[in-house]
Amino acid sequence: MMAPPHSKESRQMTLLLDIITTAAILFIIATGLLTIFGVLKIINFAHGAWLTVGAYCAVAVGDLGWNPWAALPVAFVTGAALGGLTERFIVRPLYARPLDAILATWGLGIIIGQLITLGFGRDVQFTKALLPGTADVFGTSYSVYRLFALAAAIAIGLGFSWLMEGTRLGLSARAVIMNEALARALGLDTRRIRWVTFMIGCGLAALAGTLLTPLTSVDPNMGVAWLVGSFMLVMVAGQSFAALALACLLLGGAQVIVSTYVSPILGGITVAVLAAVVLRISPKGFSRV
Amino acid sequence: MKRTLAIAALAGSLLAAPVFAKDPILIGVPVGLSGANSVVAPSVVQAAELAVDQINAKGGVLGRPLKLVVADDASGAVGAQKAFDSLVFQKNVNVLISMETSAARNAGLPIVAKGKIPYIYTSFYEGHACSPYLYVDAWVPEQQVPPVVDYLKDKGAKTYFLIGSDYAFGRGMLGFARKYIDKTGGKVVGEEYLPMDGTDWTPIISKLKASGADALITSTAGGAPNVTLTKQLRNSGVTIPYANLAVDEGTAKSMGKDAAGILISASYITGIDSKANKDFMAALKKKFGDKTRTPNDLSVPQYEGVYLYAKAVEKAGTTDTRPVLKALGEVSFTGPRGTISMNKQHHAPLTMYLGQVQDDGSVKVVKSFKNVDPGAQCPKL
Repeated sequence: MMAPPHSKESRQMTLLLDIITTAAILFIIATGLLTIFGVLKIINFAHGAWLTVGAYCAVAVGDLGWNPWAALPVAFVTGAALGGLTERFIVRPLYARPLDAILATWGLGIIIGQLITLGFGRDVQFTKALLPGTADVFGTSYSVYRLFALAAAIAIGLGFSWLMEGTRLGLSARAVIMNEALARALGLDTRRIRWVTFMIGCGLAALAGTLLTPLTSVDPNMGVAWLVGSFMLVMVAGQSFAALALACLLLGGAQVIVSTYVSPILGGITVAVLAAVVLRISPKGFSRV
Repeated sequence: MKRTLAIAALAGSLLAAPVFAKDPILIGVPVGLSGANSVVAPSVVQAAELAVDQINAKGGVLGRPLKLVVADDASGAVGAQKAFDSLVFQKNVNVLISMETSAARNAGLPIVAKGKIPYIYTSFYEGHACSPYLYVDAWVPEQQVPPVVDYLKDKGAKTYFLIGSDYAFGRGMLGFARKYIDKTGGKVVGEEYLPMDGTDWTPIISKLKASGADALITSTAGGAPNVTLTKQLRNSGVTIPYANLAVDEGTAKSMGKDAAGILISASYITGIDSKANKDFMAALKKKFGDKTRTPNDLSVPQYEGVYLYAKAVEKAGTTDTRPVLKALGEVSFTGPRGTISMNKQHHAPLTMYLGQVQDDGSVKVVKSFKNVDPGAQCPKL
């Protein structure tokens, strides 16, 4: 049987960990979407499908009998490769028509979902647990995997900052974000920058899908549930990774607090409601952070 | 998809049947070939096909062959209205026998009442669906919950935490569980729900851990939410006795180590050690080979439902609705789950099995409860 009810300190510690790790998971899920939105100014509504592709990479890696951790690079590469093809054949003609791009990527998401259903069936799939069990955090037992997700979110955040601030590609991408016409006039190959950015965005989405597998069911529709939340967070965050981290922490934290103290059912709509409120008050969201 | 399946079902039953001089008796099977039930629907269709084949091989019913007409209800109310409408008024089926969601059943019932034909519902559900045309041969909460709570109580549990998906079945099951726990001297220290498409159970799990409950009972929507909750529970190191009212044997098996120790309560488990069950499993294997879907607590009642209908028509000597409805409450059939008779206010007393998932994924029967009464489901019938 379980130990007697936890002390007040332990409950507060759990709440704090719940907030931080929930924010971390939201951040991981939303980075791919933000990358594409930030540079290309289009919303990739196939984002949910790329998450699903990543999760099925974990399934495939498991079926092949490989080390479950191999799923992480496999998912990134698969997502990036498929993203590259998508950009070339579907998204590229639609940059001037962002609304059509939403429609096209949404449709693409449905097609990917159906292809996965054809390939793997509709059933729920199972993957090996990456890091089972709990660890002791200042006297509170807590899920090791959620703590790992926090580390993964920080790694992705730092890795991306480095990519944007410390590399040639990042510099070019920032130039495209600020003024694409000027960047092109200065001789930057903006077409290639868009292409690579889209690949990275899809790769990150697939990576996130793999990272989700220990926390969620893997089925052809799994991505849809995560798409709406990521979309809201990206709308609030605008183009900045720091703003995204802040949005995840505030909105995700509010979700945990509402779920804990009011009702998990209301908690489920907290992110959407708060995002709407934030955008009403400040149409640019947190993007000036 | 649905058309090919319907044709396949048709072809299957025609090929196997001896030559009959008379018109076939048409059995309408509205079922969720798409949507939430699509994972389980193929096993339900297979079970119905097998029953029809076996009955036809023995000369049919009243010298007439049985024939299935399968229609997709898309697992929901809108699809069910179309499927029921088409089966009842265009295909003119003699009876409807099928496992469906509660939403689909509720949407279909008025159409059945208008068409005035018998409807055998073969899915377990939240209980208290009553209509003169409706018979049910699967379990209701009054049959499924008590074995679980009694067992946990015997193991020393005094306080319980309940977690479910926010929909009619989830709330219905846990609402009944709460009443039963209160009645038997236990205490519910928490009851929490997440929307059906919810993915993050973390705050609820934190509450569960803080509550210090002795045992956990869950009733989520089948499939994804169930798997997600179980994974997150295991990740968080929850080790208290855990009864899952919504997991089926197949899902529990494929969840592997995460499912180990989970208690399940069902009227059918593949491991039932009876001749009828072994014969049934062998016949299924023979007919469908490696395409065989593992039989389960939803497909076996479908198989028995077809037999119960055949028996009722034989007893009534006609397919006319009124005499068949009367006979449905009187006949019995001994199938994989034992001897089934829908003689309790259009519901059936059932033997319930309490199973525990083992480390290797198999389900071991811990205890069985003979002929559990469905209680007063429809006092007015």
